[in-house]
Amino acid sequence: MNVLVYLTIILFLLMKLVGGEKGTRSFIALFLNAIVLFVTVFFMTVQAINPILITLLASIVISCINLFYINHINLKSITAFFATIITLLFLITLIFVIVPRSMIQGFGIEEIEELTSFTLYVGVNFTTLAICTIIMGAIGAITDTAISISSAMNEIYLRNPLLTCSSLFKSGMNVGRDILGTTTNTLFFAFTGGYLALILWFKDLAYSFGEVVNSKVFSSEIISILCIGTGAILVIPITAWLSAYLLTKYKINLVTNQ
Amino acid sequence: MKLTLNKKTIILSSLVLFFIFISLLFVHNNFNLYKQPIVEITQAIPKDKKESIGLANNEGTISHQRLVGKIKNGPYKDAIILLENTYSSSGAYDHKYQVGDQLFITIQNDKGIELTGNIDYPKRDTFVVVTAWLFMIIVFLIGKKSGLFSIISLIINIFILLFALNRYTELEGASLLLICSGLVVFFTVTSLLLVSGNNEKTYAAILATIIGTFSALLIAYVVMKITAERGLRYEEMAFVTRSPQKIFLASILIGSLGAVMDIAITITSSLYELYDKNNFISLKDLKESGTQIGKDIMGSMTNVLFFAYISGSIPMLLLYLKNGAPLSYALSMNLSLELTRALVGGIGIVLTIPISIYTTTYFIHKRRLSK
Repeated sequence: MNVLVYLTIILFLLMKLVGGEKGTRSFIALFLNAIVLFVTVFFMTVQAINPILITLLASIVISCINLFYINHINLKSITAFFATIITLLFLITLIFVIVPRSMIQGFGIEEIEELTSFTLYVGVNFTTLAICTIIMGAIGAITDTAISISSAMNEIYLRNPLLTCSSLFKSGMNVGRDILGTTTNTLFFAFTGGYLALILWFKDLAYSFGEVVNSKVFSSEIISILCIGTGAILVIPITAWLSAYLLTKYKINLVTNQ
Repeated sequence: MKLTLNKKTIILSSLVLFFIFISLLFVHNNFNLYKQPIVEITQAIPKDKKESIGLANNEGTISHQRLVGKIKNGPYKDAIILLENTYSSSGAYDHKYQVGDQLFITIQNDKGIELTGNIDYPKRDTFVVVTAWLFMIIVFLIGKKSGLFSIISLIINIFILLFALNRYTELEGASLLLICSGLVVFFTVTSLLLVSGNNEKTYAAILATIIGTFSALLIAYVVMKITAERGLRYEEMAFVTRSPQKIFLASILIGSLGAVMDIAITITSSLYELYDKNNFISLKDLKESGTQIGKDIMGSMTNVLFFAYISGSIPMLLLYLKNGAPLSYALSMNLSLELTRALVGGIGIVLTIPISIYTTTYFIHKRRLSK
């Protein structure tokens, strides 16, 4: 049997064992996300549709899976969902400014040396694709941070229902600060792990520091990971604000209803 | 008191802004640091002729442009140079250049009246620095002190990593896996100490992280041995001059570390929070709460790794598919290593939940016994 099949089965068994019914649901969500991702790539091969539009639609579907399927529909997940969408819009603006100007789309010479039999003129705009790639890379981290903060704020509000909007926002930011360090670590190590081979290769071929920084393979990765990190951190104040606003507004409704 | 604090903030932020400004000015004008000639484009003239290219249903055009630029460094400094550029509408490997772009070139002919040369690649360091500053400013603005600490810990980690890899490439016959294992222990200790301080909670998290990461690696190793690595396509790493298996195992180890650390710190700090609020809480209750928290976070954490790893393969996957490669071939060539990393990371995440519950309750139990 295949390595991937074995690992998938082990992951599934562990998730079921540790997480019970919710663990199984988390595994199914991961599986659904993989399907959404492949369908997205498939749609991108059709030239007539704008890849960014497809990616945005896919991001919405993925956040629905991550937030509503794993956590059910409630104020927590709805807040996290809208915070994710708002963050994505900010992030897209940022990416649109940076990516086309830094010319990091497509492949570096290190990557295409092996692909001599392929044509590179495939009718796909690789600049747009670079933008889509960063959005896709960020969506997991953004929904993760959003749901952590909104559920923590929900707990805080339930214990202290008299908190004002601004002090609730402040506690949300405190929770966010605790998450921030570990999120940046997660992304940094994932990046380093993925590109360990490349770093070693640069070293073996005695690339100078300047050559590494300016090469497309390196700069595109570092710019992507920094954009993803920026998105994963921008979601903190956005969720804290939205959650504080919705929770206190919800309280006002509760009072007027009584 | 408040006034002095504000003054301090103003001084600090203006200092930071000054620093950023200087570094941007520097990186935009650092031509003399490079040996290779750099050209700044002063004129970009499109040629009329456009060629249509492409296979069936892959439309596209190839365009040509003539560029005039000024050399910014080296023996030909301030000389004017003529360059030719060809770019396609898809831009997988080529670029359309504009006035103001800075490019690395190779000078070809200096015999005639005007210099001519070949374009190598655009200068991208300015953008790397701009994005890095943007990231650090946002981390600092939102995270304040803890943001500053996480930036410091990131920078320390980068330097240690580069230093260790340097040593590795210099030493003959050193084991990469062993070096990376040492790195993992070091990264865990420094990052967690910086993030959550020198206390028992941190020790529990450090222990859980190290056990979790290495158990995930062990599972990956055993599975790879049992299946004789069937399904893993190392072609993606064909460029490396070393054994791809060893590099891959080391990359799995480092790649899952961040996520495992995240889980360990979340669970240990929530359990210690519960313990601090109620010192007489039973170990059984602590275990139950820990499992509950673990259930809540494992789904979204596995997703973080999944998307962070897989997304980078999308362009290459599309190139394969557009070139008519069969779906299964394209998927296995481009995704087998990334999927393995994501799966092993996921296994690490799930394993770390019971492990960190165990280490935390162990420390709490020990503390109770000593009282």
